[in-house]
Amino acid sequence: MIKIEKSKFSVFIQNLVGDFTVFAPVGEGRQSAFDEVADAESVNTALQNTVQSPKSIFFPQTEVLFTYNDGDVQIPEAADKPFFLWGVRACDARSIMLVDKVFGRAKQRPDDPAFEDPYWKAKLDTAVILTLACNEPASTCFCHWTGDGPFEQAGDLWAVDVGSSYLIESLTEKGKAVLERIENASPAGKTEAAEIDSLRTQAESYLGDLVDLSELKDRMKQMWDDPAWDDIAAKCVNCGACAYACPTCHCFDVQDEGKKGKGKRIRLWDACMFPLFTKEASGHNPRGQAADRVRQRFLHKFSYYWDNYGESLCTGCGRCIYVCPVNLDIRTVVKRFLDIDAAV
Amino acid sequence: MKNAYVPIPMIVDKIGIEDTAKTLRTFDLRFVNDADCEQFKYLPGQFCEMSILGKGESPFGIASSPTEEGILKFTVNRTGLVTNEIHYLQVGDKVGIRGPLGNWYPVDSFKGENVVIVGGGFAFTTLRSLLIYLLAHRDDYKDITVIYGARNPELFIYKDEIESWKQRSDINLHLTIDNPVDGWVHKVGFVPAVAKEVAPSSENASVVVCGPPIMIKYTIPVLVDLGFSDERIITSLERRMKCGIGKCGRCNIGPEYVCIDGPVFTLEQLKPIPDAF
Ligand SMILES: Cc1cc2nc3c(=O)[nH]c(=O)nc-3n(C[C@H](O)[C@H](O)[C@H](O)COP(=O)(O)OP(=O)(O)OC[C@H]3O[C@@H](n4cnc5c(N)ncnc54)[C@H](O)[C@@H]3O)c2cc1C
Ligand code: SF4
Ligand code: SF4
Ligand code: FES
Repeated sequence: MIKIEKSKFSVFIQNLVGDFTVFAPVGEGRQSAFDEVADAESVNTALQNTVQSPKSIFFPQTEVLFTYNDGDVQIPEAADKPFFLWGVRACDARSIMLVDKVFGRAKQRPDDPAFEDPYWKAKLDTAVILTLACNEPASTCFCHWTGDGPFEQAGDLWAVDVGSSYLIESLTEKGKAVLERIENASPAGKTEAAEIDSLRTQAESYLGDLVDLSELKDRMKQMWDDPAWDDIAAKCVNCGACAYACPTCHCFDVQDEGKKGKGKRIRLWDACMFPLFTKEASGHNPRGQAADRVRQRFLHKFSYYWDNYGESLCTGCGRCIYVCPVNLDIRTVVKRFLDIDAAV
Repeated sequence: MKNAYVPIPMIVDKIGIEDTAKTLRTFDLRFVNDADCEQFKYLPGQFCEMSILGKGESPFGIASSPTEEGILKFTVNRTGLVTNEIHYLQVGDKVGIRGPLGNWYPVDSFKGENVVIVGGGFAFTTLRSLLIYLLAHRDDYKDITVIYGARNPELFIYKDEIESWKQRSDINLHLTIDNPVDGWVHKVGFVPAVAKEVAPSSENASVVVCGPPIMIKYTIPVLVDLGFSDERIITSLERRMKCGIGKCGRCNIGPEYVCIDGPVFTLEQLKPIPDAF
């Protein structure tokens, strides 16, 4: 672990921009997001977290799969520089890994590269992710429920803001290579370790009660016909804002733009909350009712993904709570299914 | 590396019109590049995404058998944007396909067994693939029973081939239509009822059932009554699809993705999933 003075932060970023496309938190409030930065001055270091998640760096809201011109198909050039992400929170760094389980090699065809998502892989495989510990989790955070935590180590580098400086530790070879570029960094020692411990304890005190999710997987299935789904559906307006804000939601639609001979095939974010998501040409819709769709959302998060990968597809970032126009709180939903006193 | 979203170029080699209303057409496609043909290894039950650049893509079961080399056959029901455009294709036109996608009927574990094929309507596509495959390896399999139903005689697909199957002594073929029609000498009645009447033995046998959801739903209890165990009742499901490779998230039934865990499932696999049918 090394220590760099905050006064050297701009040198740190400057050192990287030549060889990396650097992404960091920028903007305020609902507009806050990860965006490309050219210097340290553009970075908003005061945010608890960005309202828009960093998933769009690897999985843009719209992405060209290829262009076509009279049958000639052209795949867009890959980015010329690898990505460096500064200041990703642990929940988001883990979210990227959860999506990677789906977009990387398919578990059903582990040996077949034809089942990899090449657009996602090309960006992620070369990226270096620096996770910044959360000294002050927000009121919507519940990462301790999902096995995460404000000081959980994730990504390639892990940093802690200790006031006048950042302590940075490398977690992978890619991370190590970046740390080696830093000149005049002093090694961190026992004092710093103690500092981290006290910041961690303080951060954890911001989080609410702990809820154990391990029984949720079966509970939600057993309660398939429970009226709770109707209550949730009655409140939800099926806007999909939660899925778009979610760092682990990865559903997409594919559309052709342009004329028959010339144009592009693109993919766009989509969500299971939309009625057309599953509607078939015959008119039949396996998830035709609002209750079917909210059930899909929560079962995918806490049951189906768990069946496939042994953990939930949620890292407790709390964005869906923040963006929902009708104040539907995922924590309340979870508690209701676990019989912990909660009205949706 | 192969990009799973980019279609393989194909050329329309032959077009067959299956019904007088012209809602069902069968397309034989040929590979533009020999290397693609070489690499395309599939088994009955798998499907492809067919692309009309500028309109989109749709999944279709592969109706040809891997034993019919050099071509891929698809039968397309005209029902919306992409299928409409496919119906305008002419011999010599270019199309794209992605695949082979999904899993397949367990033809290897059928070896040495009796195989029962139950189909309804134009869903007979991958069942044709299966039947042609079994016939090409006839000695590997014991009795082959086919129960195939359509609303009326007009709506059977592969009519010429049905005639040739009728001539064979090594297929027990039972055709049925919903309501009596002059000149029809085969069975009359819905597929589940006919399956009950034909009562194929479940002894050392597997059954593959494919058709409209309602037909599958009512045929399965009949098969269970005949003594077929859940792991030997095999069906193929349909869901709206986009990517076909387990990424876009829309085709799931419970934790299973129809495009990559399926489309072929056993009743045993589907039983715990509340919304499978
Ligand atoms: C595994 C599988 C095998 C199939 N095999 C055949 C076959 O052999 N012959 C045949 O005629 N049809 C088959 N279908 C159904 C066929 O895919 C749909 O009828 C077709 O996608 C409708 O497309 P459209 O653009 O004309 O309709 P639209 O209503 O305009 O649909 C727009 C898009 O939604 C998607 N979509 C809509 N309905 C379906 C659906 N039922 N299944 C999957 N995606 C859908 C497609 O991407 C489609 O292009 C199969 C479906 C699946 C899942
Ligand atoms: S199915 Fe719904 S909950 Fe699951 S990833 Fe897609 S949009 Fe998110
Ligand atoms: S943001 Fe709220 S209202 Fe919108 S789909 Fe999600 S839960 Fe429903
Ligand atoms: S079609 Fe995209 S996940 Fe199955």
